[in-house]
Amino acid sequence: MPLFRKIGAVTLTAAVAVSSLASVVSADEAYSGYNYDWWNDPVPSQNGYVVDRVVTGVDMGAGAFNELNDIFVDQETGKIYLVDTNNQRIVITDEKMETSSVMDTFTYSDEFTEEQSVIKKTTLNSPKGIFVTHYKDKTLIYIADSMNERVIGCYEDGSIFHEYTKPSSDLYESDISFRPTKVVVDNALNVYAVIPSITNGIVQFSQTGNFNGYYGANRVETTAEVLQNAFYSLFMNREQMRARQRAVAIEIANCDIDDEGFIYTVTSSKSANKDILKKLNPAGENIYLNMGFDNMQFGDVPMYYNGSNFASQIDDVDVDENGNVFLLDFTKKRIFQYSDELDLEFIFGGDGNQKGLFTSPTAIENLNKKVYVTDGRKNTITVFKLTEFGGMVQNAIEMFNRGLYQEAKEPFEEILLRDANYWFAYVGLGNAYYTSGDHENAMKYFYMNSKGGYNRAFKEYRMDMIRQYFNVFMIVVLIIIAVAIVISSIRKHNKKKKLKAANAANGR
Amino acid sequence: MRFDLDMPAWKWPFYVARHPFEGFEDVRWKKAYNSKVALVIVLCLFIVTVAARLMTGFVFQTNFEKVFNIVPLFSSSVLIFFIWVVGNWSLCTLFNGEGKMQQIMCVTAYALVPYIISQVVYIFASNILTRQEGAILTFISYIGIVWSVVLVISAMKAVHQYSMPKTLLAILFTLVAMVIIVLVLILLISLFQQVVMFVYSIYTELMYRFSM
Repeated sequence: MPLFRKIGAVTLTAAVAVSSLASVVSADEAYSGYNYDWWNDPVPSQNGYVVDRVVTGVDMGAGAFNELNDIFVDQETGKIYLVDTNNQRIVITDEKMETSSVMDTFTYSDEFTEEQSVIKKTTLNSPKGIFVTHYKDKTLIYIADSMNERVIGCYEDGSIFHEYTKPSSDLYESDISFRPTKVVVDNALNVYAVIPSITNGIVQFSQTGNFNGYYGANRVETTAEVLQNAFYSLFMNREQMRARQRAVAIEIANCDIDDEGFIYTVTSSKSANKDILKKLNPAGENIYLNMGFDNMQFGDVPMYYNGSNFASQIDDVDVDENGNVFLLDFTKKRIFQYSDELDLEFIFGGDGNQKGLFTSPTAIENLNKKVYVTDGRKNTITVFKLTEFGGMVQNAIEMFNRGLYQEAKEPFEEILLRDANYWFAYVGLGNAYYTSGDHENAMKYFYMNSKGGYNRAFKEYRMDMIRQYFNVFMIVVLIIIAVAIVISSIRKHNKKKKLKAANAANGR
Repeated sequence: MRFDLDMPAWKWPFYVARHPFEGFEDVRWKKAYNSKVALVIVLCLFIVTVAARLMTGFVFQTNFEKVFNIVPLFSSSVLIFFIWVVGNWSLCTLFNGEGKMQQIMCVTAYALVPYIISQVVYIFASNILTRQEGAILTFISYIGIVWSVVLVISAMKAVHQYSMPKTLLAILFTLVAMVIIVLVLILLISLFQQVVMFVYSIYTELMYRFSM
């Protein structure tokens, strides 16, 4: 009998081993997760997101897509809106992505008759962006109809309620074309249109279509050209200066709006050093500047290889309900997830044709902890889901950012057991120890992970030390002073003796 | 206070640090150029440079490298010191300077003592202070640098018996001379590398021939 039991035990162990091996194999992704350490060197990390599925237009019964350029997920209804640029249509589907409806022709309604329209077209021409919002039980769909030079606002049945076209204001230079690529709408139904040929910021319209001005312009980069212009302007007259090329800010490439109404913009430039990601308040000011994130670099650490610049080029931004920021990098075709305090959480995706990799990623959205990425060349939608590790990290960081440092301690310890390279866990544990008064351990965890945290912990630790050893310290100081006095008096005495001896010798 | 100048050689650097204006004239007068003391000071300079990289408190550590490399630290302390000495000597012998190479080395080393001491204090204090008190550290290191620069000027003035404007000019041109020396050194090294490669390739060629 014991023999059988033994055999049974062995088979069981073998089975467990094999099955665990199998799970490892099935968890293998086309990309491997990594993160950056204290020296900004990439270190391997566990994947935070893995591919859930890849969906094509045929799968959802809408026919093959031709250049998917934008995706919008309605957080309230769970509907997914896809912009199929070269098929001149909008495809609407749901979370399951099995069925879909197509929107390609529009009607003018009583609210907004054809006479009121400037463009007078009922079809789309290279739509590039979409945004959906709700107002008084009505679903408002805004489409950036790029080649028709307009943004249309319509209801779900395709009836247009407003058209936002090229402003006739003096502020808008008339020779600049109006080709909106992205559109965002705030709670007051102001429309923000991203136009790539404009460097002054996003074009802002009021609900009724009046041009309100530009919103959230980037700052001009301090390049050699700017300095040169400043130098020449010292002795050149106005006409000469006008002939010189003006240094302008880099245009805004894409934007997103969060639940609180903050607008996030990104700049798709490899050479930009500032304003790559901005979080704008209603006045158009960048909040990240006040948080101390001036000149912060996003995406991969810039890399120069064979004379080419492989710096990240952030093409799209998305913010989820917890404030996590997703950035889509067009150079490396990767997605970077940052927490709302801009700590890098996960990197996933990559360049290639396998599942989970992209050839031309165009837009990113999220719904229920899933990330949707469209690819304009493969014409697919890739859905990523959180791994167990990813969920753990998100949960811990969420608690951390709400200030629940003690509660976050256990999750962070668990994270470190799974991935000892995950630097933010050290910061989390440091804060947990710091708030519990264990400053020495806090210092240990903050070391090489957070200078600010280390500084705070060290200050308290020093105070503790002074309190604890003040008596000893004072006694030592007093003894040193006493010894110094004694020694100096002995020396003086000796000197006098020597002088006396010398005088005596001279006197003789 | 010239009556007690008969002091041991190791006291001279501290004496000149306390008498920045006539101290080096006293060194000249007493011929108190001691190469051993100077070399010990250069060694201390090297140790302090290494210690500053390794032992500065984490809060004030700006260039914490993943892999510790001693070569740049050596060249930024000891090598620079000797390039300065050679550059200064080669320039000032042409400009009627009285200093010999050994004398220039000694006085320059003596002048570096305040900088070394300030660095030691800096390293200790950086382990005690927090970022908010960082101004004290900046102050300490600035005092050390300024004091040493003043001493170097005074040393050059005394050892070469120059007027003040000429001293400053000589120092300026010494810096230029240092750049030239570094350039020539790099050139030489790369040339020698090519010569070595050339000889080595001839050797391998011959070996192939003879082993046939």
